[in-house]
Amino acid sequence: MLKNAADMSFNPRYHHTTAQLHDEQLIIEAAKENPQYFGLLYDKYYKQIFGYVYQRMDDKETAFDVTAQVFLKALTNLHRYEFKGVPFASWLFRIAHSEVMQLFRDQKNKRAINADVGDLRNICEEVHEPFFEEYLPHIQTLIKQLPDEDLQMVEMRFFEQRPFKEIAEILNITENNAKVKMYRILERLKKSITNFKL
Amino acid sequence: MEPKFNLNRPKVSDDEINKHKDFNNLVKQFKEQSIQKARSDVNFLKNKKATYATVIAGIAVVCTVTYFAVFNKKSTTKPTTNDTTTTLAQNKTQSTKTAERKAFIAPPVKKINVPYHSYKVNADKGGEITHNTKSKIKVPKNAFVNKNGQDIIGEVEIQYREMHDQADIIASGIPMTYDSAGTQYHFESAGMFDIKASHKGEEVFLKRDKPVTVDMVSRQAADSYNQYYLDTVSQKWVVIKHDTPVADKRKPPENNSTQISTIKQLKQLEQKAEHIPLKIDSVRTVYTKKIEKLPVPKQPSKPAKATPGKPKFELDVDYKEFPELSAFKSAVFEVGSENRNYSNELHEITWSSATISEGPQKGKNYILTLALRNRVEKLVVYPVLNDADFATAMSSYEKKFEDYNKLLAKKEAEELKLKQEMEAKQKAFVEEQKQLSAQALREKIILQKQQEEERNEQYPDLNNGQKVIRTFQVNNFGIYNSDCPKLMPSGGKLKVIYALNEKDVPLQPLIVYMVEHGSNKLFTYDNKSFYDLKYDTDKEYTVCVVSKGNLYIYPKDKFKEAVENKTRKLLVTPLPQGTNDVADLRRALEI
Repeated sequence: MLKNAADMSFNPRYHHTTAQLHDEQLIIEAAKENPQYFGLLYDKYYKQIFGYVYQRMDDKETAFDVTAQVFLKALTNLHRYEFKGVPFASWLFRIAHSEVMQLFRDQKNKRAINADVGDLRNICEEVHEPFFEEYLPHIQTLIKQLPDEDLQMVEMRFFEQRPFKEIAEILNITENNAKVKMYRILERLKKSITNFKL
Repeated sequence: MEPKFNLNRPKVSDDEINKHKDFNNLVKQFKEQSIQKARSDVNFLKNKKATYATVIAGIAVVCTVTYFAVFNKKSTTKPTTNDTTTTLAQNKTQSTKTAERKAFIAPPVKKINVPYHSYKVNADKGGEITHNTKSKIKVPKNAFVNKNGQDIIGEVEIQYREMHDQADIIASGIPMTYDSAGTQYHFESAGMFDIKASHKGEEVFLKRDKPVTVDMVSRQAADSYNQYYLDTVSQKWVVIKHDTPVADKRKPPENNSTQISTIKQLKQLEQKAEHIPLKIDSVRTVYTKKIEKLPVPKQPSKPAKATPGKPKFELDVDYKEFPELSAFKSAVFEVGSENRNYSNELHEITWSSATISEGPQKGKNYILTLALRNRVEKLVVYPVLNDADFATAMSSYEKKFEDYNKLLAKKEAEELKLKQEMEAKQKAFVEEQKQLSAQALREKIILQKQQEEERNEQYPDLNNGQKVIRTFQVNNFGIYNSDCPKLMPSGGKLKVIYALNEKDVPLQPLIVYMVEHGSNKLFTYDNKSFYDLKYDTDKEYTVCVVSKGNLYIYPKDKFKEAVENKTRKLLVTPLPQGTNDVADLRRALEI
């Protein structure tokens, strides 16, 4: 079942209290002077970044290597990082997004979509359409045919259960914009689902 | 090309994810990149064309390396030694440290813990056990049952230990926070004990109507404590009742003979050391007097030529009274221009007396006092010589000045000799004081050790006259505590991160303790709070950081400085080498 709105509005792994954001800022400033401090952020976010990368591909080893590359880029560019009131993770996710996209541009065969049956059921429920096992291949096809940008949104919202606030921070758009985009994607999906059922 | 669609793909385990974490390698790559960048920057300045080529080649190499790294990398990377728990956030990475975090009672350092003392009691007869702290454990007869509720017959082993101060509590790893109505409190303990029992290796239990009574000796005499039981299932302290202490009238043991001898020796050393500053002072006084007593040669006055046109007086001078004027034989006294009362009239009067005395510039000028009946005139006069006498006077002066210089040099040499003697004696005393202080310190440490051993082995509160007994009814074996819940200090906040002193290596704490001196308060900070230390400005604190199975200390004087300077990075130090027990930890915490 899709988590209810309240469940999806706050991700405890990602979101921070103001005090936690400041604590993190303290570490980032220290890491700018001494890369060893970056270890604290590396430990904190490694699993999340790996999860993000692996969600979008099939090959586990490639996912680990891309994750390593994300952190290397983050450390290299850390001096440019400026605290803008959002978790450091959003910056890392943006790097991860860019790395993953770069990889897919170079090697299209690396792109994969990973979802549970429950996630697909959630999409059907969200567009108020009943879900049956026999629909699965059709829904998969619909999702595979989504443009990259729309697929990203669906992955983040339904396969990774990210709140809109977090999606917005990762994609560097407003929360409202994220909601509108999602709404439009779902509208299109609803039409397509209705079509194949006819 | 459409992407592949995987349905219900198995999740990657946390262990597998952790195996691929290699922060050391990341830092290595980062450093290599930085060096490469620095080199290319230098080259760029030297030769732009060459630089472009180098950069392009560099990028090609990096891309190639990355490409091969990405596609050829085997999953053989070992977990880094820098792996730490993800305590900063809510990342649920199941590292070993997280498992450590989940342990409810977790001694931070395995080798430093409060040991259990084992006692045997006959289950049929019951008995009274006297612990080495003089606490008493009273066991009623037929009090024990096994897990099936059957009576235990025969010998039961009781394991018992007490925790009294912050060092005991930190070492034991027993949580000391208490939640009440959503507010977290920190326990200030008046003493805590942990009791368990077994029969033939099997855990035994107490019958409901046969509680064990523990008369725990406590060093905190206040009546402001409650009794709590640690429910290890719900992981909470459960309040039992108000704890009313009873004065312990038993006589504390006297110092043993070894300690008496050490104390005596220590006192003697301290007395000797106390006398040294007096001795140093007396040396200074004696030698200062000696130096003062050295004869001071009188500097002869240099003859001066008379100034033409200036008024002068001719006087008969007693040269015995003014030896410095001996070079001025046949001198006349010239009236100084500072005399505003001088008029030519003074020369026309026949004065009944004219005397000279020392003037404001000793040896250089004189006061000439002229008197006639009631009239007295005082003039500042300077001995001067007429041209004819000046050459003779100068030659006499030079001889006398030579003699004077010889005497002065002799005096200075003697003075220097005396000063050197004085300094040598003072230095010897300072050295003696240092040695005595060092010896006293050694003796103090020996005494402290002896007393601590005594305290650990026999009596925990050797010198505490305010000893009380706190009586607990033990219905279930476990941990009991006499506590007073306290709020975090509210005087100030210090936002900090932690690093190891020697190499500035970042340290990820598991728990941070703040030991408040002058009380038994211990404040516990977890991952939600250990970057925000709180303090009261009139108190002293030692910070104790638990990380990766080690304890690190930030001493109280440094913490005071950190508060004053708003230090944001606490450079902690590991426990000193040879820290093997709670007594050593106590010393490290400066309790």
